[in-house]
Amino acid sequence: MLELLLINYVVAALSGLLVGSISVTLTTSRSITFGLTLLHSILGGNLLGVYLSSLYNLTIPIPLVSTLTAIALSIIVGELIERGLSEDMAIAFSVSIATTMTIIFGYLASQVSSLAITKAWTYIAGTSSISSIEDLAKLTLTLFIVLPIVHLLFKEFKYIAFDEDGAKALGLNIRFYRYVFYSLAALSASILSSTIGILATHVVLSVPGIIYIKFFKRYNIAFSYLIGVVIMLVGYYLASLLSISPSGGVGLTSILTVLGVTVYGRRS
Amino acid sequence: MVSDLVVEGLTVKFNDYKALDNISFRLDSPFFTVVMGPNGAGKTTLLKSILGLVKPSLGMIRVYGLDPFREANKIRQIVSYVPQVVNINIHVPITVREVIAMGIYSKSIPPRIMNKEIEEEVEEVLRLVELERYSRKWFTELSGGERQRVLIARAMVKGAKLLLLDEPFSMLDFDIKCEIAKLLDRIHYRMNIDILLVAHELSPCIAYNPQVILLNKKVYAVGRAGEVLRLEILKRAYPGITEIPQGFIIGEDHA
Repeated sequence: MLELLLINYVVAALSGLLVGSISVTLTTSRSITFGLTLLHSILGGNLLGVYLSSLYNLTIPIPLVSTLTAIALSIIVGELIERGLSEDMAIAFSVSIATTMTIIFGYLASQVSSLAITKAWTYIAGTSSISSIEDLAKLTLTLFIVLPIVHLLFKEFKYIAFDEDGAKALGLNIRFYRYVFYSLAALSASILSSTIGILATHVVLSVPGIIYIKFFKRYNIAFSYLIGVVIMLVGYYLASLLSISPSGGVGLTSILTVLGVTVYGRRS
Repeated sequence: MVSDLVVEGLTVKFNDYKALDNISFRLDSPFFTVVMGPNGAGKTTLLKSILGLVKPSLGMIRVYGLDPFREANKIRQIVSYVPQVVNINIHVPITVREVIAMGIYSKSIPPRIMNKEIEEEVEEVLRLVELERYSRKWFTELSGGERQRVLIARAMVKGAKLLLLDEPFSMLDFDIKCEIAKLLDRIHYRMNIDILLVAHELSPCIAYNPQVILLNKKVYAVGRAGEVLRLEILKRAYPGITEIPQGFIIGEDHA
């Protein structure tokens, strides 16, 4: 029992690190809308994966399908923007595709297997309160990929967010860095969707970044990691207290944190 | 003789919208030139074309003999760009030294680490723009004029031959505009750097008698400020004006 509880909290802490690593760039580069679009894509990809695995009775790695779907739709958004379409229009287009995928593959999966919808629901609302060794392995592997790249390219991400025209003029390959970040964000959000679910990922993704910006004079990116970990741990604990799913606890903690920061910000 | 900056029959279209229409001019080093024109005149598009960030629909550009679009990497070694301050995302937590160091880092590949040598270069360029002891300050803590100086310092630290500035006087008080113009004049004469800036108004620069290009999708005049800023010439680029607006202020010394 203690072992399961320990796995739960380690999964929570690792999820927090993952959220913290993506959140800062997502928030500072004013890409929150894009981040939310990404989550639509992941949901569409998850349902595609669920449908394919139900149809062919195969063990298809669903996070891989959702990551690839999200990257493909992100590239479509990026290319449409590069070709002069407004960001709002490009994002709306991508959301339309992702939502259509969700509806179509959700329906098709339900026709193939009665268990498919239950499986799909775990990607929407998160898994039960018990995390598995598989969750732990997926998160650890993702962190090994995401964290070093984020740290290696953090200056570039920050600089592009600060002054995109200036960065282009200095010779930075904006398109390359943008797609690297999109891919890392897609991978992270996809893995998070398989643990805390898409809905809670929606809520939690921007919180460390918002707090980082609010208090940047005193802290650095390590603070974003810390906030991510604390929100996740408190969320999991709250969920066990209230007997709700971990994603519910994480969502509540995120909302309360943002409210607290807003109130503090107004007073100070 | 080949000029240092040649723009010949340049037309830039965005879908059906013509931002620049068959413009031509030549500038020989050393030059301190102000491109003036109303909103939507294509001033920023011209700068971005010179940098190779915007592809010409027609015509050609040569910067010290280089084609900005085909030889973009070489161009970015010798041309620096100072964007409009309004296009900067001030919510990004970044220090003055990080902003300036990026001008140096751009020559290397990641990971871009701040070493002692880079720190010294940053300090040196900060002295040139009179912002000593500002290196560890947050960019957001600076005033409008100080932010502009930091962006100019970032452009200078690359060791460029040509400085392109997009609206460097926007959102500044008049005395600060004059200080920026004075700084640019000093950079131009002491460091032998060519300057091409776009602006709505000429008054902060008038004391330095810059060359002026009057632009409104087409080039209407090229010459010294005193020659170009005449009502009959201005009327071509600014249809509807009946007198020279106060902002242009010919011949008054505000320095």
